[in-house]
Amino acid sequence: MSNFYNMPKLPTENSPKVEIFVDDKAVMVPGDTNLLEALKAVGIETPHVCYHPYLPVSGNCRQCLVEQEGPRGRMLVIACYTPVAPGMKIYTPASSARVKNARKATQEFMLVNHPLDCPICDKAGECTLQENYMEAGQNEGRMRPEYGKNYHGNPAHQFIDSKGQVRGGKHVDIGPRILLDEERCVQCDRCVRFMRTIAKDEQLQLAGRADHTYISTFPGEKLDHEYDLCVTDVCPTGAMTAKYFRFQKRVWLLSHTPTISMDDSLGANIWLDHADGRIYRMMPRCNPEVNRSWISNTTRLAFQTFGENRLPAMGLKVIKEAMGEGKVAIVAGGASTIEDLAAIKLLKETLGDKAEIFGGTFKKVGSPDGIAMSGDPMANRAGFKLMGIADDNLADLVKRASEFNVLLTVNADLFGEDAAAAKGLEKIATRIALSAFDDETAKKSTLAFGIKHWSEVQGTMVNCNNLLQKLNAAPTCPDAELRPAYEVISELAGKPFTSAFEAFKKAGEYASVLAGLAYDSIKSTGKLLEGGNA
Amino acid sequence: MAECVKVCTENFGKGAQDIEVYKKLGGYANISERLFNMSQFELIDYVQRSNLRGRGGAGFPTGMKWSFVPRGTGKPVYIVVNADEGEGGTFKDHFLMLEDPHRLIEGLIIAAWALGSRAAYIYCRGEFLPCIESLNKALNQAYAAGYLGENICGTKFCFDIFVHRGAGAYICGEETALINSLEGQKGQPRLKPPFPAVSGAWKSPTCVNNVETIMALPWILQHDPSEYAKMGTPRAGGTKVFCISGDVKNPGVYEAPLGTPMMTMINEYAGGVVGGKLKAVLPGGSSCAPLTAEEAAVATMDYECLASMKTMFGSGAMIVINDTHNMVDLLNVLGNFYSHESCGQCTPCREGTGLLHRILNLIVDGKGHDGDVELMQSLTGGFGGVTICPLSVSLGGPVASYSTKFRADFDEYIAKNPDHAKPRVQETYRPGIFW
Repeated sequence: MSNFYNMPKLPTENSPKVEIFVDDKAVMVPGDTNLLEALKAVGIETPHVCYHPYLPVSGNCRQCLVEQEGPRGRMLVIACYTPVAPGMKIYTPASSARVKNARKATQEFMLVNHPLDCPICDKAGECTLQENYMEAGQNEGRMRPEYGKNYHGNPAHQFIDSKGQVRGGKHVDIGPRILLDEERCVQCDRCVRFMRTIAKDEQLQLAGRADHTYISTFPGEKLDHEYDLCVTDVCPTGAMTAKYFRFQKRVWLLSHTPTISMDDSLGANIWLDHADGRIYRMMPRCNPEVNRSWISNTTRLAFQTFGENRLPAMGLKVIKEAMGEGKVAIVAGGASTIEDLAAIKLLKETLGDKAEIFGGTFKKVGSPDGIAMSGDPMANRAGFKLMGIADDNLADLVKRASEFNVLLTVNADLFGEDAAAAKGLEKIATRIALSAFDDETAKKSTLAFGIKHWSEVQGTMVNCNNLLQKLNAAPTCPDAELRPAYEVISELAGKPFTSAFEAFKKAGEYASVLAGLAYDSIKSTGKLLEGGNA
Repeated sequence: MAECVKVCTENFGKGAQDIEVYKKLGGYANISERLFNMSQFELIDYVQRSNLRGRGGAGFPTGMKWSFVPRGTGKPVYIVVNADEGEGGTFKDHFLMLEDPHRLIEGLIIAAWALGSRAAYIYCRGEFLPCIESLNKALNQAYAAGYLGENICGTKFCFDIFVHRGAGAYICGEETALINSLEGQKGQPRLKPPFPAVSGAWKSPTCVNNVETIMALPWILQHDPSEYAKMGTPRAGGTKVFCISGDVKNPGVYEAPLGTPMMTMINEYAGGVVGGKLKAVLPGGSSCAPLTAEEAAVATMDYECLASMKTMFGSGAMIVINDTHNMVDLLNVLGNFYSHESCGQCTPCREGTGLLHRILNLIVDGKGHDGDVELMQSLTGGFGGVTICPLSVSLGGPVASYSTKFRADFDEYIAKNPDHAKPRVQETYRPGIFW
């Protein structure tokens, strides 16, 4: 509630460095930020629950206490709300027993009314309370059953269990995608602040006060928003859980692959969390310049269909024969990576005048929502421009359909996007679809050829902010025979790429800004391209 | 009892709710050429010289508080009167507003002139219906008489006063929670800085003052500031309205100079302790540490003396307790009150006050164990200075001091449990159907 307009200032690369004294040792920290971020910059982690770098500071968990030397002696202050000032003297638990005890006490209070049901909690393993307990707590339990726990939840949900304890609110259905566990909530206010300041749709609130405070929607309303699953990410405990991931997998069994979502031209940074060869969930990966810590439900839930309805791999000979000597229209879809585009360019060079490259989508281009969507379904549009490939000439192709003998679509579900607009393409006699899925275009084509999906390939894309971002391959491909599009296409061209990087090097020949770049020189947060078209 | 000058309670029982009576008693004499000829700085300096300190509990010098309000920011300056009297044992503002509402209005006009304010809000506790009625009646009369509204007394000065009914939350007596509540948000204290003097109500400079502070202004302006300062102690001037309650013969509201000995207040003003011998005194409302009878014998009622005795002057609400009471019962009542009134923001207060109350309940129910008191004392160690507002300390302080000063009372209750010497059983959860 308090000061909801106070967004934390985060350090950047250009932050001025100031000298402060941490535990009587001089360190240089970013000067325009809060103490918590400054300490993080010099490698001192401060446990916190309510603070989130992309949410306004509410300062109510009191977990990030540090001692500050002030005019009235050493005072306990919260690191998340204390601005860095040159010369300030800070004491962390490393040197101050008072800070250590204060954090321990807060940790103990935090767990007074928290049910210790970690064995059945989906958040166990990535729970802030567990992490803080290992760091700041580890105290001997002093609570005894007689002291009891206070039921904090909606009074309408409470019941008395077999031990005579008031319980309730274990799985409150607060929205179509989210379940709330009122007992696990530690009232950190993060979800409320997310809905208020990021989603800009105040659907959640803290009702009640004292230790019967509980999270609630407004009476009769449901939590339903394009970004509502982000509250499960910001929730430090297992209070907010996503229905799709509930009881699916223990999080410590998941492997994480950092990659880019190719649903949208913002190129939201994501983690693909996978195990046993399938994706279990998609989580936002923090990138301050792109999607911060948020991804939309559309992006997040897209993975559910990645393993289904896949096309099988085929021998290349069939395609070569089908292409024959006729005139070829190559259509590249928005999810094509820079590597795929390099291969397409290579194929065009090989075929010479017989081939022409088209690009684009029949989907409508929306407007940015200011959170984590640019609204443009053509993910690599800037990459198309960079590679000198038209990104919006499908209408032209439909008009001139009769000129071509062969239609080769790469990652482009033209018939699925707009069957009416794509109808004209049926005039082309031989229609070859290179696609991950058995989609409408694959069904309409004369030859459908399975390739790897973007979640399974290594590659690069350029987002709408001209940021070159790296995709990594998650080992979740259902069929070992499937190959990435660039491999297939380059083989059609007769000069097969053996690795993604080889394709990327080739792309450097078409787009000079990419020349000389190595994959390692692209940071996990991307590389801003100079002189790009976008 | 020496006859003392009455600053705030002068008109009590004289029917001063009516503007005509109030004017006949010398009211609104300050709203004159003399006030409007004074510059803001002169007036603030005048108040500073009177040594008036805030009467709400913290005792911050009023003139200094006013001088913090920035000028020329392009934003309006609001005055908010804190009439959300929630502290246990305090009932002075209630009577002040009920008996003499015009003095509050007159004081507010003076404060408005000092701060260059256009509007003031009286945030009144919602349960004080007679007060609100009395205030609204007085406001209507003052508007009709031209003391409020546009062009007061023919000058270009315009000023409005609004009475806002709170919903009765204790925490809304904290100034930033009060401002949140006034704005229509949940009454929870804000993080500071920014302080309200810089960014308060609607992000504008806001000065929050107690009712009694404002009501002292007309007298100060009528007389010389040194005359007011002379009445109190060197660091805090003037008289104070004390509310004495508990086991005394005549509980009520009494005005006395600061620095009056505590026993004088109890014996001469309130008629002495009844029902037993004096056991303890809470000098400044329910949230302060109690003084034992021996300490009370030497204490004087002012900020410095009580601070030196590790308690506080607070709102001047003395609660006198005789020896028929067990302090654990009193502490349990406080536990109930503060655990219910915690706003639910900071973890230590939200979870800790409730836990302390549950432990106190066990002790009172005769289920206490040895070590419970030590546990409570240790838990209150996690309260000190770590929360946004001092509500957690309002329970933590009493728990720590009651259990130190009146340990025998706790032991008496714990001894009622025949098994008190055994340690509490730690329940172990065995693998059940889930494993």
